Amino acid sequence: MRLSTDRLVVRYSGAARPALDGVSFTVTPGSLCAVLGPNGSGKSTLLKALLGIIPAESGSITVRNKPPRAWSRRDLARMIGVVPQGEALAFPLTVREMVGMGRYPYLGPLHGEGQKDREAVQRALVQCDIERFASRDVTTLSGGELQRVRIARALAQEPAALVLDEPTTSLDIRHEMAILELLRASADAGMTVLVVTHGLDLAARFADRMLLLREGRVVAQGPPGTVMDAPVLEDVYGWPVAVEPDPVTGSPRVTPLRSVEATGAE
Amino acid sequence: MPVDRGAATLLLYVAVLFVAGCEPRGESADLASSASGRVVTDADGNPIRVQPPARRVISLVPSATLTLGALGAEDRLVARTDFDTAAWVGSLPSVGGGLQPSIEAIVAARPDLVIHFGGPQDVQTPRRLEDLGIRHAAVRPDRIHDILDMVRFLGAVTGRDEAADSLALSIESELAAVRRSAAGRPDVQVAYVLGGDPPWVAGPGSYIHELIEMAGGTNAFSDLERRYAAVSPEEFHGRTIDLILLSRGTVFDARLAHGGRIVEVSPDLELPGPRVAASARELARILAHVP
Amino acid sequence: MRRVGLSLALVVLLACSMVASVRFGSVDLGTADVLSALTGVAPPWVRTIVVDLRLPRALLGALVGGGLAVAGATFQALLRNPLAEPYILGISGGASVGAVLMLATGIAGAGSWTLPLAAFLGALLAIVLVFGVATASGRGMDVRVLLLAGVVVAAFFSACIALILSVSEARTVQSAVLWIMGSLANAGWSNVIVAAVYTLPATVLLIGLARPLNLLAIGEETAQYLGTDVERVKRLALGVAALITAAGVAVAGVIGFVGLVVPHAIRLLVGSDHRALLPLSFLAGAAFLALADLVAKLVLAPTEIPIGVITAFVGVPLFLVLLRRSLAA
Repeated sequence: MRLSTDRLVVRYSGAARPALDGVSFTVTPGSLCAVLGPNGSGKSTLLKALLGIIPAESGSITVRNKPPRAWSRRDLARMIGVVPQGEALAFPLTVREMVGMGRYPYLGPLHGEGQKDREAVQRALVQCDIERFASRDVTTLSGGELQRVRIARALAQEPAALVLDEPTTSLDIRHEMAILELLRASADAGMTVLVVTHGLDLAARFADRMLLLREGRVVAQGPPGTVMDAPVLEDVYGWPVAVEPDPVTGSPRVTPLRSVEATGAE
Repeated sequence: MPVDRGAATLLLYVAVLFVAGCEPRGESADLASSASGRVVTDADGNPIRVQPPARRVISLVPSATLTLGALGAEDRLVARTDFDTAAWVGSLPSVGGGLQPSIEAIVAARPDLVIHFGGPQDVQTPRRLEDLGIRHAAVRPDRIHDILDMVRFLGAVTGRDEAADSLALSIESELAAVRRSAAGRPDVQVAYVLGGDPPWVAGPGSYIHELIEMAGGTNAFSDLERRYAAVSPEEFHGRTIDLILLSRGTVFDARLAHGGRIVEVSPDLELPGPRVAASARELARILAHVP
Repeated sequence: MRRVGLSLALVVLLACSMVASVRFGSVDLGTADVLSALTGVAPPWVRTIVVDLRLPRALLGALVGGGLAVAGATFQALLRNPLAEPYILGISGGASVGAVLMLATGIAGAGSWTLPLAAFLGALLAIVLVFGVATASGRGMDVRVLLLAGVVVAAFFSACIALILSVSEARTVQSAVLWIMGSLANAGWSNVIVAAVYTLPATVLLIGLARPLNLLAIGEETAQYLGTDVERVKRLALGVAALITAAGVAVAGVIGFVGLVVPHAIRLLVGSDHRALLPLSFLAGAAFLALADLVAKLVLAPTEIPIGVITAFVGVPLFLVLLRRSLAA
């Protein structure tokens, strides 16, 4: 399923400059696109606009050939699995119950879960490797485990696209890599995957395309090789960097440099 | 639109309440439409037939209970409240408090008349009794002339009119005697404190005020705008008060008295009832000993 | 299945409490008398006690208790706050002002519906005020603003009540305080009808919203992403829960604790899925209040203890036991 925007402008009421100023990009099925940029560059806004949560001032957004607001929330939920940035749980819940919520877009108030639903949940649990704590209370899980639960919930929706907002922030190596490999595998299996992240190096390793934003504008987009360019990154992040191929993986790697006075000593 | 839904539900609620509230009342024996029978008016302005005289009475108002005793109608009472302190009601079953009595206990006593507080003092009890078809009447013994009205009213509904007339007359004449004996005595400025912090005092229009005036005193708080009110302690400094009456058990800062006498009185003094003349005499006696 | 077992237990408990409420009261009646009153062949005063006093009171207790529990669970989910309970939006304050005004002005000639109606209108005023403030931004209902507005409005109404009472005579104050403390003693069939009309369809509606409530309990953003029309569900669920509460307070005064603790107790036993939580909370709330009322009317008969006292005295230890059990598990 294609997700795309064309010259999208989004402005929050009362703001001086638009949060998104003429953003155009496309994510195609079977690919993983990473959205990056400094804080305040509009990454989360882009996701919210794409999902029809906030209205656009001008420009167009297309979700499977229609604007997102032309779809009902239920239909959107059947097509796109979203893993938002944070949730604050007030009440206890088991892992299976939480993943089971991914099936809600398919269930009416009078319907109980059916065989199909249980199987979808089971598949999602297995895919995210959390089957062994299906009966545990989610509040007892670690950050990484909880994140996998939320991804499983999105996968249980059996969506054509996955949209994730900073899914690996504050996770350790093991959990972060596990999630990125899972996302890569999903993309390879035909899903459209869109990830907002801060990690440039990992994004370069796993994504097919990268989108770099600054102050609501697209500064660069394309394969990692194109976007991971020192002058471009310096301009966007306002800090001197060096970019070279990683000796182990061959993928472009960013090294932020010490401030100018110290450069001579390096 | 949620507003429309809310408005529709409100209308539905009102409609349901009207319908439910208009359910047929139990047989109300008080309709003045009956052919014969003298009718008296209770304290809420409702007509009450006096024939046949009430034989099974429950009084939720302690001073009404005392009045019935004074009229010689004790045998008509079939229950009491927890606040009826007279010894002769002790053997009767209780219906609980006077303001929120157990309706079940009232029903079980099968009264043909329930005396309750009138007007704003008790809105719910008469409604419940009305719904159940139990005859009821309101009394409001707030002031001295209310007591006389109550005496005559209770006499009428229990068929003890003569006893009522003579009781009323004796109360009036005793009160007149108190007034006469108090006349010509030097003026005493009196304050009646009911308690509280800041202190609650009795003002004009209250029963206590009437008693004080009858006993030959002047209410130091005659300028108060309400029957009872909390006043700032400053008021005690600003006025000449010769005598402070305290209901027994009330906490009062004695420094506010500045030289005036403080006398503790029985809490019964505050309650309007058939013993009003005795209360007036007691007050007159206290006042006489002040200077 | 735990849920089925618990439902059966609660139904049995509710049935027993209601039967006990009809069998026992401040007046001693024998079982034979009570049964004959129900079948129609009994002295009129016995019939009055059983059919006009005890039966509606038992039903009202069940309806109000069940309604408050369901409303409490709904507020907890929508406000994402375990301390939420039905009166959190100032509804009890508004209702109390309406009732106290009616008591203080003492329109004695009014029908038996004026007091509950005045309380209900007061409650509606609170709801309108609070909802108005929470939606003032125009960008949908902010539940944090709702919560704050509720607390502030409740404080305002408390002050109004204090003012009215400070200028009222002693017996009026006593009547007002007794009303506010909550009592099922004035239950009549008209109150039962009103409570049923509000509570039952509203509860069914909220159970139908169980899945959206599950989602909203996690977060509004997540709920949207999983297909919920968040604004519509919030307004509907809050509005309905507020009306259940308003109707409950209007007919029975401010009975605390049921709406807060019963949902938590059920949650400890069967989890947070509202498809089980709501109906079981209804049953548990109904049984709990029916039992509490039984205690309130029997312990110091014929004096009635305010039912809010019983709900707290009984509910707190019960809840602490459940809490300990769940923490130990």
